[in-house]
Amino acid sequence: MKWTYNNRANAIYFIIAAFLLLLPFVHDSRSLFILLTQVFIFSIFAMSYDLLLGFTGIVSFGHAMYFGIGAYAIGVFMKRYEPTNLNFVLAILTTILLTAIISFFVGLLTLRLKSHFYAMLTLSLSGLFLVLAEKWRTLTYGNDGFTFRVPEILKDRTDFYFICLICMIAVFLILSRFTNSPVGRVLQAIRENEQRTESLGYQVLHYKIIASIISGIFAGIAGILYAVSLRFVNTSVFALDITLDALLMTIIGGVGTLVGAIIGAGLIEFAHHWLTALAKEHWIFERWIIFFGIIYILAVMFFPLGIVGTLKSINWKRRKKPDVKKEEKLAG
Amino acid sequence: MDVLLNLSLNGLATGMLIFLLAAGLTLILGLMDVLNFAHGGLFAWGAYSGIWIYSKTGSFFIGILGAILVGFLLGILTERWIIKPVYGNHVQQILITLGLMLVLSEMLKVVWGPNQISANPPDYLVGSWEIGGVIIIKYRLFIIFVGLLVFAAVQFLLSKTKIGLVVRAGVMNKEMVQALGINIQKVFMFVFMIGAGMAALGGVLLGPYSGVIHAEMGLEFAILAFIVVVIGGMGNFKGSLLAAALVGLSGSFMAYYVPDLALAANMLLMAVVLVFRPQGLFGMKG
Repeated sequence: MKWTYNNRANAIYFIIAAFLLLLPFVHDSRSLFILLTQVFIFSIFAMSYDLLLGFTGIVSFGHAMYFGIGAYAIGVFMKRYEPTNLNFVLAILTTILLTAIISFFVGLLTLRLKSHFYAMLTLSLSGLFLVLAEKWRTLTYGNDGFTFRVPEILKDRTDFYFICLICMIAVFLILSRFTNSPVGRVLQAIRENEQRTESLGYQVLHYKIIASIISGIFAGIAGILYAVSLRFVNTSVFALDITLDALLMTIIGGVGTLVGAIIGAGLIEFAHHWLTALAKEHWIFERWIIFFGIIYILAVMFFPLGIVGTLKSINWKRRKKPDVKKEEKLAG
Repeated sequence: MDVLLNLSLNGLATGMLIFLLAAGLTLILGLMDVLNFAHGGLFAWGAYSGIWIYSKTGSFFIGILGAILVGFLLGILTERWIIKPVYGNHVQQILITLGLMLVLSEMLKVVWGPNQISANPPDYLVGSWEIGGVIIIKYRLFIIFVGLLVFAAVQFLLSKTKIGLVVRAGVMNKEMVQALGINIQKVFMFVFMIGAGMAALGGVLLGPYSGVIHAEMGLEFAILAFIVVVIGGMGNFKGSLLAAALVGLSGSFMAYYVPDLALAANMLLMAVVLVFRPQGLFGMKG
């Protein structure tokens, strides 16, 4: 039964992916593609966040840090050196290295302590990166940021749309494979009951650090794509808003389900687009984030599973009932 | 010499503002095991409402009282509606208080507009005294004075009154206090109210000190307050005063000598404390 359910879900994912892949051939709306590209990029970011929050139960408030490192790495490389493919690859490698090192040390420092500390330290550390990006003017050009050129292969918007879509699908596949791997199972066990996992003989800290590093690297990659899509980078990539976006997307979409992160990213990005367009009608829509803040609080209180989780639990109940009856009959 | 003195006064004044924020945070954390990420939002609300009342009535004193009342009210509402439903679940608590922070700071922009608001100290606190060639700005002394007054008042409350006894006992062992027949929920609410009131007071005092207030300042100070909570030790009220003074002083001296590293120095201090003494510099138990 589990198999058929998975199969159906896979079929749905496949149809959606195929639809998104074919869309550019039948439809031609530049703004829609740019918006969808943003959705894909933030989906990667939200999925990387989901690995921490949803699968390991770690709350990070500094995820923008990795995102910003990726964005600045690509920006600085493309600005300082020729925008060649080689330099692009070098920038990706630098991002992976930097995010891995930083997430390793952040994890090492705080993951052995209570969850408060991790949230607090990541929040302050991302604040530190924001200040660093503002002050290190020779490298970052301060608050104004800078534009840069991108390699030839990334210039075309439609091609970039495909690249982002493929990246998103790849990250989704990698992370769903990872969360179902033995390591991923241990992470979920940590989320459910840390003491118990520890007493079963697992080095909880090591596993948490692994989750922190992998999540950091993927967030960095999302940052690279984001900077390339804008061809511009400034200090806003380190702002708390970016972390909040990831939080809203993951919580509203559904924690612990990678699909939820994608759905959440789509919802938030489209809502952002439409609501800012509505700002001309009434000024309250300029503060559109407030609606999402309220929805977010309500979601944390009443629907901690989010959209996908709630849907899944409904399905599960419907499926489970006949089984229970059968068992009762057998017992009777 | 006067540079050093001025920097010290400046640092102490900033430290007092951070203390007002961190004290509530650390008490709430120690007693209720809740890290309130919305505390910076309460701070900003105190600043906006206090400055607004001050500009309407023309009396700074009424502005301060108004801010504290707004803080009390927001504290009670927050505790009732936001924190209470998720007691005991750390992840949910952290998530929900950050959501509240978002809503609070956006609400500020809805009510008072997205632009920053300027604030000036009242006439009797403008200017400075000159003592032996050293210029001392009145408002800074005023902040330090108010901060110490609040510290003394809360310290008295904690050490000499019945409710303070219950709070201190609650920090040590919540279940035991409950088993002795004390309604800990009410104590929680009281502590939350006091904490929010202190944060709001800090906010309104900051207004004339920095000259302008804006919605993001809540978060800036909240980050400093977190650093203080870690350095001072969670739930340690006296520790938070010392740590706040330390953070304020190091901030003001670093800002003068190596301005680019001001926040980095405090972050480094926090990282060192986290590695070697996670219970805080002034923490008692190991």
